[in-house]
Amino acid sequence: MSTETESTGIKRRDFLKVVGGGAAVAASIGCSSDRVEKLIPYLVSPDNTVPGVSTYYATTCRGCAASCGVIAETRDGRTTKLEGNPAHPLNRGALCATGQAELQALYNPDRYRSPMIRKNGKLVAAKWDEALQLFSQKLGQTRSRGANNAVFINQHESGSFPAFLDQWLSDYGMPPHISYDSGVDTAAIAAHTAAYGVAWPRFDFGATTLIISFGGDFLDGWGPSVPQQLDWADARAKLVGAPRLVYVGARRSLTGLNADSWLDCKPGTEVSIARALSGDMPVAQAAQASGVDAARLQSVVDEYRAAKPGLVIAGGHVANSTDLFTVVAALNHSNGAVGTSIRPDQAILGYEGIAPAAELRALVDRMNAGSVSLIMVRGANPAYNMPRSTGFAQAMAKVPFKVSFASIMNDTSEMCDLILPDHHSLEQWGDAEPVRGTLSLQQPAMDPVFDSLATSDVLIKVAKGDPANAAKYALPDYRTWLIARIPGGDEGMATALPKGIVAGSSLARTARPASSAFAAAPDIASTSGDLFLFVYHHPVLGDGRGANKPWLQELPDPVTKLTWQTVVEMHPLTAAKMGLDNSDLVTVTTSAGKLTAPVYLYLGIRQDTVAVATGRGHVNAGRYAKAGENAYDLLPLAGNSAGGIAMVSTKASVTKAGGSMLLATTEGSARQHLRDIARAIPIGELGLAGEPKHAEPQEEHLPGDASHEFLPGLRSPVANDAQGDFGDPASKDKGMYDPNHWSHMAQRRWAMTIDLARCTGCAACVTACYAENNIPTVGAEWQGPQIMPDRTGFGANITRSREMAWIRLERYYEGGEDGSADFETRFIPMMCQHCGNAPCEPVCPVYATYHAPDGLNVQVYNRCVGTRYCSNNCPYKVRYFNWFGYGEPHRSQYAFPEPLNWQLNPDVTVRGKGVMEKCSMCVQRIRGAEHRAKLENRPLRPDEFTTACAEACPSRAITFGDAADESWSVTRLIKDERAYHVFEELNTFTAVVYLKKVNHPAPATAPAHA
Amino acid sequence: MALRRKWLTVSGFIAIAAAATMLSAFSGASTSQGFSPEQPVHFPHPLHVQTLKMNCLYCHFSANKSPDPGMPAVATCMGCHALVAANKPEIMKLAAYWNKKQPVPWVRMHKVPEYVHFPHMSHVNAGVSCQTCHGPIQNMTQVYQYSSLNMGWCVSCHIGQSNPPFKARYDCAACHY
Repeated sequence: MSTETESTGIKRRDFLKVVGGGAAVAASIGCSSDRVEKLIPYLVSPDNTVPGVSTYYATTCRGCAASCGVIAETRDGRTTKLEGNPAHPLNRGALCATGQAELQALYNPDRYRSPMIRKNGKLVAAKWDEALQLFSQKLGQTRSRGANNAVFINQHESGSFPAFLDQWLSDYGMPPHISYDSGVDTAAIAAHTAAYGVAWPRFDFGATTLIISFGGDFLDGWGPSVPQQLDWADARAKLVGAPRLVYVGARRSLTGLNADSWLDCKPGTEVSIARALSGDMPVAQAAQASGVDAARLQSVVDEYRAAKPGLVIAGGHVANSTDLFTVVAALNHSNGAVGTSIRPDQAILGYEGIAPAAELRALVDRMNAGSVSLIMVRGANPAYNMPRSTGFAQAMAKVPFKVSFASIMNDTSEMCDLILPDHHSLEQWGDAEPVRGTLSLQQPAMDPVFDSLATSDVLIKVAKGDPANAAKYALPDYRTWLIARIPGGDEGMATALPKGIVAGSSLARTARPASSAFAAAPDIASTSGDLFLFVYHHPVLGDGRGANKPWLQELPDPVTKLTWQTVVEMHPLTAAKMGLDNSDLVTVTTSAGKLTAPVYLYLGIRQDTVAVATGRGHVNAGRYAKAGENAYDLLPLAGNSAGGIAMVSTKASVTKAGGSMLLATTEGSARQHLRDIARAIPIGELGLAGEPKHAEPQEEHLPGDASHEFLPGLRSPVANDAQGDFGDPASKDKGMYDPNHWSHMAQRRWAMTIDLARCTGCAACVTACYAENNIPTVGAEWQGPQIMPDRTGFGANITRSREMAWIRLERYYEGGEDGSADFETRFIPMMCQHCGNAPCEPVCPVYATYHAPDGLNVQVYNRCVGTRYCSNNCPYKVRYFNWFGYGEPHRSQYAFPEPLNWQLNPDVTVRGKGVMEKCSMCVQRIRGAEHRAKLENRPLRPDEFTTACAEACPSRAITFGDAADESWSVTRLIKDERAYHVFEELNTFTAVVYLKKVNHPAPATAPAHA
Repeated sequence: MALRRKWLTVSGFIAIAAAATMLSAFSGASTSQGFSPEQPVHFPHPLHVQTLKMNCLYCHFSANKSPDPGMPAVATCMGCHALVAANKPEIMKLAAYWNKKQPVPWVRMHKVPEYVHFPHMSHVNAGVSCQTCHGPIQNMTQVYQYSSLNMGWCVSCHIGQSNPPFKARYDCAACHY
């Protein structure tokens, strides 16, 4: 380097000067570039659309079996955002992270762009005519050889399409399809059906005082997560009289972390504890069997006996779950839960008709025997999520002709010979029956992204060309068929579509004969290995369906806060015994297979158990899905008697693999270190504090706040040097921060409350924010630093704390420092607090961040030069820096490869390299609402709009509004006795007000006055 | 020798930088003011606006209800020109696009950077005439960019220094987000 400097004669310091001058030149050239852009008008303007104005289509989410209602916001022909449909009976306006991320399935860069035909061993693009002709030909051949040998596996969905498909299959002489969803607990479904007569009842948590959950992870995607979370949050928001939750299981899931107490029983011994509750087993014996402290168990048993009504729920992840379910059903029938907190009359119908994994297991034998000549798969990915021990993929490879209707490539479709890509659910017609008597309609929100075709229409087209079936399929398309089923036909459909729901019921699918169950699994305690192995469905990636969506890969797991990685969760004391620490690589070996991943120390797991999540480690499911390891490889062939795969059925041996792999975690510390960030109050102390003390005395002495008498708790010396006491006292113009200023810019004070008694930590808000604010994901392999050997691969940027999440979910533990199971967890969403007295503002050398008169702390991207002083000075650490050109298409770190960039919100700037960014409190929505109100010549209506995080939140914890106007609900919440500001002592005067979490201690330990 | 070359290089750069700074300061920084590209079809505004008395909103139909003023669909042009002046060369060019079912690839002239949000409807409904920003568009046989579209030009209006005077909120987040 130095020799080069000598040769050109320019020293480093001089060079900098020159570069400084050069930059000015470059800047002036850069800005006036005359890159010619085109303005492309419509050829014929479509009806009802105005360029630049969004259209909203009510449709149905197909992210899981529940079938929530969504509103798709579509601008200039592209869907940019999904919101919950407020009129929908299930999700009532909320939407989970999985639902939000359906947009990344729609615009997935690994979607099939056209039909594909395998030629000489490789899939090559083909035309639809050729592909359909091949499909017809194979159907004809199958029929001539006995169509009974054909199999159709469909990703389970609710609605009339399954019945339509069964009819089509029967017209071709084929057996009804297998409706498969490996992410659903089929053992629980069988148990619910036996005990309550429905596959999935609604759990009305508000109607009970004590919930005991045996691994029933109702907040982690076990069942319809959004409605369950809404009901849970509403129940807990009652505060006094809210139900207590006791979680029983070897690992604390998100539901477990939300529980007030945890009984850490050995896997497979849940049934002993249930028997202790029912009185069939002495407490001491149950404690002995399950490894739970007898005194703790006794107190739960006492509490349960006193609770009227109680509610017991159970998940079916263990091999002996059928025994557990029998006891649980008896408990619920005796404790008054059925009919009060268990509501079969409000059943979630999306869970009816799901085939257990045992059906696919039986299919493996048939495929191995060569008696399957044609297999058709739509949506499902059994080659990945049927454990390797079942031999599904190998058996499927033997089928002579395999057809896939996959929209995005997956491990199963890549094995197929013919791919007839399906539309995404946002591109096609359909219906679902979420609750009895209500149809949730599904309509295209936009034209197809690629050359795909709805499977329903493929079936019709093929049948039309078949002389034997043409007469039965005279209808033009599936849409016509669907509309004919809607009461009122075309008109009925047109009336119903804006709301997205209509009274009616879907067509019943053909029942399949009961399947054979798995052979009885051996007792987990008798399997070989050192530690119990707890495999569970990842709360957002599920059974792998979310794996190729970068938002979901980068969304920190609500429990572990890890991204892009598969880890082995291990108790700190166990790890210490084995000489392991965070990020050390270990190999987990079972009779079925092995997996090597870094250790993650987790307090919420038994000392004799390790846990691994499913969902990652795909071989062939797109560029993002390669991240992590496949936990399904570890599962031995073991099921429960209901035919489901037992996720927890074996012990495993865990050995040091040598070396380490940095954890891609977004967590700074799991402890608050006395900083009192996430506060809680025991239920007994509510109402004892007297009058809320909001008027901090020191505030009155701050200069500049005299004219800013906003509401209590938010009285803020907004930019108190701006013409306040420091301005000219004689001048009438007090500046733009004066509420009486002619511009009325300071008329409003945007603020937010977050109720920690409601928040469950699910992180739906995080994904909603990514979708709304064009936040780049940074964890893909090719986006990471390539020069540091220990910081490459998926998540490399995250290991260097370069994630960009404007809102993050912090998770803190209280207690349990000694490794005991008795610890409390607090979740707190953390984003820019929009301080009235912001530490970031005075340190910016270029005024790129400033305080807007309406209370927002604004980041002006075009002013920002990237000094990062603001981030350095922010006590909340909520500012994020674009280290690379994540928003610049020509760079390798580009976060939105075509067509993911179609999703970008046109109202929000896509940030470039070297720019700081942070939560804007959805300023684009504020401006949008203001413009809309002005257009309609009216003032803003109270609560007329809200931020993306608040709109999505499935626990309704976030409330946004104008704190300067009493008619907005945020002002009522700000006055709550639980209200506090984080780091109040720093005089930041934040606009985000948190309401303390409410703790419900066990009755025995509750204070006397409770 | 090395020293000499070094100072030549450095002063050369400084001279260029100074020149660029002066230029940009006096030319209104980075504007494409006056930009007047040739369009694929020669559209005479004077004929349509002056002679035929057509309202701007007939073609730019969303200027008063959307951030985007809207470019007329080819079908809008052909609504008249299927018959009117159908034999003129420029109209034949238009008809050729229509017959090929292709939109006319107009060259974009007025553009604010991506980090600026300019909602047309708010300006139009506040009584800002088209001419305030677009100049004597009704007289332009070939459209040119009349205003600089620079920030100083925007702000002068927002703080009430324009003629006729308008006033609007002028903090950064009014437009930059």
